[in-house]
Amino acid sequence: MALEPRLAAYIAARMPGARDVAVQDLSRISGGASLETYRFRLLWNEDGAARERKLILRRDPPASLIDTERRIEFEAYRAFAGSAVPVPQMLWLEEADEALDHPFFIAEEIAGFQASPALLFAPPYVSTLAKLGERKWTILGEIAKADAGALGLTEVMEPVAAEACWDRELSYWEKVLDDDAAEPLPITRAAIRWLRANPPPPARKVGVVHGDFRTGNFLYDEAGGIHGVLDWEMCHLGDPLEDLGWSFNPVWSFGQGLAGGLLPRAEAIAVWERASGLTADPAALHWWELFNCVKGQAIWISSARVFLDGGNREPITVYPPWALQNAQDRATLQVMGRL
Amino acid sequence: MIPAVPAVLAEIAGIAVRNALPDVHPADRASSLGLSAALLGMAAEVWDGMAARLVEENRAVRRLLARGGEVGLDLAALAAGSDEDLRISVLKAANDALRAGLIDLHAAAEAKGAAELEAAIWAELRASTERRKLAASPV
Repeated sequence: MALEPRLAAYIAARMPGARDVAVQDLSRISGGASLETYRFRLLWNEDGAARERKLILRRDPPASLIDTERRIEFEAYRAFAGSAVPVPQMLWLEEADEALDHPFFIAEEIAGFQASPALLFAPPYVSTLAKLGERKWTILGEIAKADAGALGLTEVMEPVAAEACWDRELSYWEKVLDDDAAEPLPITRAAIRWLRANPPPPARKVGVVHGDFRTGNFLYDEAGGIHGVLDWEMCHLGDPLEDLGWSFNPVWSFGQGLAGGLLPRAEAIAVWERASGLTADPAALHWWELFNCVKGQAIWISSARVFLDGGNREPITVYPPWALQNAQDRATLQVMGRL
Repeated sequence: MIPAVPAVLAEIAGIAVRNALPDVHPADRASSLGLSAALLGMAAEVWDGMAARLVEENRAVRRLLARGGEVGLDLAALAAGSDEDLRISVLKAANDALRAGLIDLHAAAEAKGAAELEAAIWAELRASTERRKLAASPV
């Protein structure tokens, strides 16, 4: 059966006051390499009136390059609803396979804004980059400032001690590389040896780490505003410097020579420090920047692994390793001062 | 490049056929063909130089592995190979074996404080990213 009637039936069962529930204009949003994302219009009648709402479906694919849990992502979005961190409203989470073959959640669509980095570097957006950068790292600082316990996230996310943050993350992504790499990665292996030999100090704070906070994962407007932070699927508890380091991964500079393609690195750090109330220790931040080069490489080669194992042979699984694997190696060399 | 170019081209051929059918949703078709086009562009960019790049790199890494004795490693057998078979799959298999040996050599050079050898390895790693660099590389 097509996806539309199954989706409509699922939603109808959760809207007891609604009649004639229908799903229209279901279309897949390209770019999601680890999850299937669709937008659609929900139509229904309620209290004698015709109603409509634009919604998003995020569903696990048959095989994914990142193993994540829909509940973690759902709860992360829900935790920040109504806060200084703009997020779409979460509606329903389904963790069983029966309804739509795989776990999924449904959320409101924040419509009318852009997410693609490709549009940023031409009019009308190019004149707003500095303002957009200030908003971007202010929001990241707000995430770092958040109290994970007060948000309820310590109940759904694995706890970690301040001194264990770095080893847990490095060990996780090193294992991904061990399991999924289809070719030797001498630059990444050298980076891992350096990271293990030069561990960072304990986290000043164990907080919420978005896990993929970068240009391309938020919705922006023509005035430098940000209206939604997306893709929380790798959210976890850890050292907030991890997120700052990921935002500085040179592969997210889009060849602009600026952090995230938006701001000079020092300015971005200053914005983040003001918003978070934390200090970015330079040596610790350098460790997390290099760590994020390792993490990035693990994600790109995992995508190749999904293709090689036949779980998903769509072009989206090939694009990350082809476009970014060597760039990530060059980024690693750059962060290590070897390029 | 992994996945290997021939496997990806075969997959794109299938995608082109599927998207020629009239009942494909326009959004799915646009997404699928847009990404396929980007991959075809990258394949076209690397195609002519791939064999030459692999031969150049294999020779460079063999020269480094031949220095394994400086740090107590016997990598002579690995270093003694040649690249007479110019099929890309064969060159790539040799490249994988050589770069696996390079990881061992690099770790040994670090452990033994063999600074000059280590510098030579870093130079080769830098060069390896120049050989692989695509025109649209962000770094």
